[in-house]
Amino acid sequence: MKFVPVIIRYGTFALAIAGVFSMTSVMQIIHGQETKIPPPPGKPHGRVYESEVGATGILEALGDNVAIGVPVPGLVSEVKVKVSQKVKKDAPLLILDDRELRATLLRQKAAILVSEAKLEVSRAQLGKAQDMLDRLKAVTDQRAISQDDLKNRASDVAVAKAELSAADAQLQSAKADVQQTELLIERLTVRAPRDGTILQVNIRAGEYASIQNKQAALILGDLDSFQVRVDVDEQNAKRIQGKPAATAFLKSDPQTPYELEFDRIEPFVIPKVSLTGASTERVDTRVLQVIYRLKRPDQTPLYVGQQVDVLIQDEKDLSP
Amino acid sequence: MLRLALKMLFGDTGKYLMLVAGLVFATFLMAQQAAVFCGLMSWTTATLKNVPAPIWVVEEKVEQVNETNPLLDTDVARVRSVDSVAWAAPLYSGIQRVKLANGNFKMIQLIGIDATTLAGAPVNLKEGRLEDLRLPHAVIIDDLGVKRLASEKGKPVKVGDFFELNDQEARVVGIADAMQSFTGGPYVWTTYERAMQYTPAQRKMLSAVIAAPKPGVSDEQAVADIERQTGLRAYLNRGFGDSEKDFNTTTVWWYVKNTGIPISFGITVVVGFVVGMAISCQTFYTFVMEHMKHLGALKAMGASNGTLCMMLITQAFTVGLVGYGIGLFLTGGFAHAALQNKQPPFYMPMVVPFAVLGVILFICAVSALIGIWRVSRLEPAMVFRG
Repeated sequence: MKFVPVIIRYGTFALAIAGVFSMTSVMQIIHGQETKIPPPPGKPHGRVYESEVGATGILEALGDNVAIGVPVPGLVSEVKVKVSQKVKKDAPLLILDDRELRATLLRQKAAILVSEAKLEVSRAQLGKAQDMLDRLKAVTDQRAISQDDLKNRASDVAVAKAELSAADAQLQSAKADVQQTELLIERLTVRAPRDGTILQVNIRAGEYASIQNKQAALILGDLDSFQVRVDVDEQNAKRIQGKPAATAFLKSDPQTPYELEFDRIEPFVIPKVSLTGASTERVDTRVLQVIYRLKRPDQTPLYVGQQVDVLIQDEKDLSP
Repeated sequence: MLRLALKMLFGDTGKYLMLVAGLVFATFLMAQQAAVFCGLMSWTTATLKNVPAPIWVVEEKVEQVNETNPLLDTDVARVRSVDSVAWAAPLYSGIQRVKLANGNFKMIQLIGIDATTLAGAPVNLKEGRLEDLRLPHAVIIDDLGVKRLASEKGKPVKVGDFFELNDQEARVVGIADAMQSFTGGPYVWTTYERAMQYTPAQRKMLSAVIAAPKPGVSDEQAVADIERQTGLRAYLNRGFGDSEKDFNTTTVWWYVKNTGIPISFGITVVVGFVVGMAISCQTFYTFVMEHMKHLGALKAMGASNGTLCMMLITQAFTVGLVGYGIGLFLTGGFAHAALQNKQPPFYMPMVVPFAVLGVILFICAVSALIGIWRVSRLEPAMVFRG
């Protein structure tokens, strides 16, 4: 029977050819798995300048945010402003409890009355002494009166005069006390140091405002234009020269560029506080801070405290 | 004459199968082991495949992707400041521990990517939306994680499921098709900022910066510029090759130099070669010896040594090609199963089948040579003596 060997012979041939095809398909599967590297799903902001320094920044209100403090620790009796309210210079912001000072004022006002009464008494006494002296002086024959008496009367007048001016001084002092207290009461009303918008209110009526509080009672800033505080790695600091142009991109929106206007370079290089998400400072690099101004755009809302990616123009290529 | 040679070969089916079997065995052993080795090595570069970016910037002394030395946060800005770079994004990559609902814990490879651009996000998303990664506590897991992170067997992780990552909640918003990691842990993607929260704090956390060259600049040029301007180490991400500047290449070579994996696989391949050679030569020699009578008769009938050589070579190479083909068939079957399950690792570079073919043909050539050596010394008169 030659049938089986023939099957085996051609079977092995077929298997061998199938093997080649099988391996070809395996190769195709394997190469099909190799994908080309696609661009990132979110389009990153492109380059703006021919040569540029990348940095991160944070939006601040122009001219730095003012952390409003209180002159003396005390109970807050009234907060006059709300968050995002616009205030003019010298507008009252918050009022501290002034009852203690007003109590003093009551006493001091009464003291004025006392001093005034005392002044009247002194004036009357002066009149009396003067009258007595005048009467003696009116005697035509001087021999009829004792010289001693006359001298005494004249002294009485001088004393009464001095007492009158002392009483007057006391009245002035009492009035000054009242004025002082009134000024102190006035001081308990915290006023806006300049025009701006209230960015944060961290205190409410009834709370105790203390100088030691970590958070400022109020934060006042100018929201019409921002400033961007840009952290440049100290290794790139030498590439910041002159007044370089810069463009910012919001971290959440890498497609909208914001033109920045150079303001100043902070001359003191500080340790970097991580702006990139972590809660603690943990990086031992130092950063040069460059401040740029940014006009508030009309359409897109910008908020103080937002993070931005900043590209700063660099005049020349850095080649070591 | 050649037909006669084949007739001689197929004449004894048992002998023929025996000859083929040796070469099948050798082919399978060499091709399959080489592919498993390449697969295992390609697993070491899985992070590079799963985090698609043309350029990786790492600390100066880093040699391979699974062992990085963290950088400063501001280094992202420094890479961005290099003129030939179009974009640069931070990347965290590290092994973390996941606690499941049933109390089990599993190792994972945590990847933290830039939240804005999602640069480094998985390419093939099977379920869920990539944008959801920006939601609170959101993570994307890979298809291995679907099984590995299931709290009950047979109940795979779905989109919307939770697990615990270093005591913090992580919610699955997507499932990606990804390459398996060398360490065996599934890949878990999240945003860079959230990865910082999930990971115990260290002084420096940034594993690498991924970047791309701006249009018109070659990857190589950008890599050179980054290294020159920042002093950091920049690598290409093209795939294993001969380039010293490719992260895949340096990673694979690191494993070749620092682990025993290539030796163990290399020995198996060599054993395949030696055993194949021994079986094949021996069987073919026996085959020639058995047919010595017929060859002698042919010689006596006036066939030249050259003709006889051609006959033996034909026989040896026929057996070789058939054995090689069947060996490939077995390897292919193994490969289909392995690629289906993604287990064990399997990666067949183009060169392997051809190299194996070369080795098999070499074995056949040697076998034929031994036969030829016998036949050439054959006296035609011997036929009549026997």
